[in-house]
Amino acid sequence: MSGGGEPEVTGELREILARATGREDLLGLSEQAPLFGDGVGLDSLTGTLLLREVHRRFGVDVAAEDLNLDALATLDTLATFITEHAPAGPGSGD
Amino acid sequence: MMVKCVIWDLDHTLLSGVYLESGPRHPLPDPAMAEVAATLRDRGIIHAIASRNPPEAAQYAARVTGLEFAAAECGWGRKSDAVRRIIADLGLAPDAIAFVDDDLYERAEVSRALPQVLVLSPEDMADAVGWPEFSPPAVTAEARRRNEMYAERRRREQEARAFAGSRHEFLRYCGTRVTIAPAAEADVPRLHELSVRTHQFNTSGEPVAEPELRRLVGSAEHQVTTVRLADRFGDDGLVGASVIRIGPDGIWTVTLLMMSCRAMGRGVIEALLAWLTRAAARGGAVALAVPCLVSPRNVPLRLALTSAGFRADPGHPPGQRPAVFSRGLSGPLPEVPDWVTAAEASAASREGTGP
Repeated sequence: MSGGGEPEVTGELREILARATGREDLLGLSEQAPLFGDGVGLDSLTGTLLLREVHRRFGVDVAAEDLNLDALATLDTLATFITEHAPAGPGSGD
Repeated sequence: MMVKCVIWDLDHTLLSGVYLESGPRHPLPDPAMAEVAATLRDRGIIHAIASRNPPEAAQYAARVTGLEFAAAECGWGRKSDAVRRIIADLGLAPDAIAFVDDDLYERAEVSRALPQVLVLSPEDMADAVGWPEFSPPAVTAEARRRNEMYAERRRREQEARAFAGSRHEFLRYCGTRVTIAPAAEADVPRLHELSVRTHQFNTSGEPVAEPELRRLVGSAEHQVTTVRLADRFGDDGLVGASVIRIGPDGIWTVTLLMMSCRAMGRGVIEALLAWLTRAAARGGAVALAVPCLVSPRNVPLRLALTSAGFRADPGHPPGQRPAVFSRGLSGPLPEVPDWVTAAEASAASREGTGP
């Protein structure tokens, strides 16, 4: 079972990762696969590209809200973080 | 903020007329601007072109001025978009850029879209050589080669785009070589320059003066370590460094970590962090701490720290005090990326070989 990430978010994240790394196989990445280390091998460059795209598409600045970037543990943790932190739709500003 | 790259308009700016409106003979370089550009090149500042002209205009400008351009955007779109593409292409931050254009409208458009870019008229530029923004503290071997290194980088990136495999496969093909060695007295000017110029990989955000660096290099309680980088496309020289304070309590502290953004995405920060944890473990330390002043600019450094298993107190308040990222040294340590050949050299073995 996946956590609190919405499937559209997870799908879009797979696309961003595949583009940042040049690896099409990441389009089939498991939600529990680690993004650092052996899984995706995210580094400072691909990680920066990922965070920039997440900010642009979902309006969530992960780096500003998560000091240790724990949200980047897996696809699932990142999707959950985005779903929980996404700004409310237009018109409902606080 | 130090300017690292000047982006030039051509017509009536770097050239003395309009490229397309001068009949069979194109305009000559503007003598004052060409001289300013050559002076800045010798200080290690790189040049780029953003011009409403066909691409041949950039080649023409390179030929008649004798300058090398690290990037050129020729076309009829917005100047701010051209400037943005050059910034992304070169991996620089907007506040390290100066934009020179004779047209008031273009200057206003770039200023509005990119408020961090230093926007100047050619008249301003004639004076600007004397400004601190254009006066780097030291002209090092790396600075003199900077335009060449950006040309090498452009070839590397062109090949990367044409390369059929993944980014990791490309990096393996590049034959990246990282050399880690104790700092020598001769490295001090370059270390100072790194402390001024690096932001995306810098734990302190503060320049360190040469006397202080010289003291650290000679100090028994500190280890100053340099990182050099080369691959099949060229030699980037000394791209990074770290300063370790050896604590009596078994905790070693990296009081300064800095790396050129040219090394980003090439496994170098990862190789240095892997080496630092091993050096600390070998020296008998139980933990390695990396105090880091967190900013929006050094996110790439935090990504590398997280990837290498470092953690800070998640409740650390943002602001002026550094967050202390640390990790224990028992169990598996972070690995050097498999495409990097890392070698250790002694300071003595490197003397006289130059960067």
